[in-house]
Amino acid sequence: MSRYVPPKQGRVGQFLDVAVLLAMTFGALYAPLYLGLAGSSKSVPAIGEATWESLGQNATQVAQYQALGLTDPAAAAPIILARYDYGFSWLALAVMFVVVIGYYVMMLRLSDREYRDVIAEKFDGSNGRTRR
Amino acid sequence: MTFWGFMEYAAWALSAVFGLYIVTDWLRTDATYPEDVLTSSREGEIEAMTEEHRM
Amino acid sequence: MSDFDITSDTMDGMGPHGTKVGLLRVLGPAHVWALGVGIVLVGEYMGWNFAVGKGGAYAALLACWFAGILYTCVAMIDSEVTSTVAAAGGQYTQAKHIIGPLMAFNVGLYLVFAYTMLEAANAITAGYLISEVARLTGGVVELDQRPFIVLVIMFLAWLNYRGVLATLTFNLVITAIAFSAILILFLSTSGILGAGETHHAELMAGQAALPYGWIGVLAAIHFGLWFYLGIEGTTQAAEEVRSPARALPFGTLAGIMTLLIAATLTWYICVGLIPWEYLGDGVNGSVAPLFDAARLSGTPALVWLLGIGTLFATLASANGCINDASRAWFAMGRDKYLPGWFGAVHPKYRTPYRSIIFLVPIALAFALKVPLDQVVTFSILSGLLEYTFMPLNVILFRRKWPMGVIKRGYEHPFHPIPAIALLCLCSVAYFAVFLGYGTQLVAMIVFYIVASLWFHFRRYRFVSRAAQFTMPWPRPKGY
Repeated sequence: MSRYVPPKQGRVGQFLDVAVLLAMTFGALYAPLYLGLAGSSKSVPAIGEATWESLGQNATQVAQYQALGLTDPAAAAPIILARYDYGFSWLALAVMFVVVIGYYVMMLRLSDREYRDVIAEKFDGSNGRTRR
Repeated sequence: MTFWGFMEYAAWALSAVFGLYIVTDWLRTDATYPEDVLTSSREGEIEAMTEEHRM
Repeated sequence: MSDFDITSDTMDGMGPHGTKVGLLRVLGPAHVWALGVGIVLVGEYMGWNFAVGKGGAYAALLACWFAGILYTCVAMIDSEVTSTVAAAGGQYTQAKHIIGPLMAFNVGLYLVFAYTMLEAANAITAGYLISEVARLTGGVVELDQRPFIVLVIMFLAWLNYRGVLATLTFNLVITAIAFSAILILFLSTSGILGAGETHHAELMAGQAALPYGWIGVLAAIHFGLWFYLGIEGTTQAAEEVRSPARALPFGTLAGIMTLLIAATLTWYICVGLIPWEYLGDGVNGSVAPLFDAARLSGTPALVWLLGIGTLFATLASANGCINDASRAWFAMGRDKYLPGWFGAVHPKYRTPYRSIIFLVPIALAFALKVPLDQVVTFSILSGLLEYTFMPLNVILFRRKWPMGVIKRGYEHPFHPIPAIALLCLCSVAYFAVFLGYGTQLVAMIVFYIVASLWFHFRRYRFVSRAAQFTMPWPRPKGY
């Protein structure tokens, strides 16, 4: 078997390949946005009249907030009270790990197949399998 | 015009200058040199040369 | 093209025979340090504080050190492999020689996307900083940030276009200034020089210590990566340093040490001055925490110094990102993984000029059109996928070419412990990302799966087989 000779790619083909790659990239960036899945936001519990005491701030903390320009406890309240929700489903976690591991397994297997061709052609001077 | 209003225009203008420089130089370079010279770079050049020295 | 093959004496396509115009070998270890630290240091000036928001102040410190261990493994592994595989493209070229073409294609994409998106985020931050200066100096209600964002990208692209030596010397100067600013702020607020101004005990009293408990520590690791994200970029300079086997390990390991110091000092200064809720809210609260810490110190000179430090850090990072992303894109073009048109080197400036030009509009689109948190998340996740690749890479590297078979510039100690540690740390980081950003992670991996299939079934036909293996190594064991 002789060595693999790749076809020469014309200008139009080169341009199309770049366009495909870019389309995929922007698709991946915008898809979570359109599906409304993007971002992890904090939630702020509703409160009545906010005072530094009701926000649980000690004297030093109050002084630093005032030095930062937040003199009104009501203005600082949304920042102080916002919390993440770390509740999650084990199913979703399992799905994520399956996706990540599956991705690597697929990639390593396909890579290895291509790699054997490369090594065979480089060190034996011929390509073991005929693949066009 | 205020100082910062002027700065906004200055930033647009400078960006255009840098952009134009890059684009004109790019087109001139592509027109001056043949493609096989421009894309002649090959990976692993030093490795091959240091090997040659060692032999 | 198959008109060259390095195994042949007559058509090996390299050195004096093949390359007519190649990248210029002018850099020293200091430039490698500047490239690595320059990209990352912005993470100390902004971004890391989200870790405080996700778990509280102590959680951020634990995340900082945890990520520090992760990145020390990254730096050691990277130093060994890259001091042996010294070519532009860094991890991409490593993957091509050690794991295989498809892995290399994916790694190349991780690199380009992580860096180009980080560049966009930096440009946005620089624009925000300038608008803050305009607001504080008065006279402007709402400054249009877009011209400044565009200017940052265009100026740095121009600098990169004109040559690598000037680019990285510029980075060396501004990175050194930004790092010194952190040291000076630490010395003047911690009580070492003059009266101390920090209030650690009071600010971390009561529920402020660990507001979410231990799960908060895990969650904080997601943004703990920010302290160091990008240090692995030193490898992209491999083809342009004068002595890669010496300069790359030296610059990379000095870089990670610098960052460990900078990260710990930054944490100490900021949590001692800023209440954790404000510090941890990087959107409505503390966008630039070190700058806010300087404001709280009440010394005008420190406010100026840290303001300049923040701006320089964003510029240095964007600059390094343009450098690295264009090298990776160029290396893939040179091998025809991407259209060969990109594999061109400027005959006068000796830079991969077409890759630099091509990535400018992409970076502009990311900076002006795509929401910042999407860009940042995609950038972090691409980095994480890359760190997962590294342990696999080094384990296979040692297995296919055992010690003594080939000449290594640097050999990292305790193999395979760093690799296994890195793999475990990566799993924890995936879990941390999952807490809040799981859907983005899956969306992104779907993207990489689609791109992989596209490469395997379509794009790979343009790649010649043997010629992409360019290292003068013996046959790998077991193949």
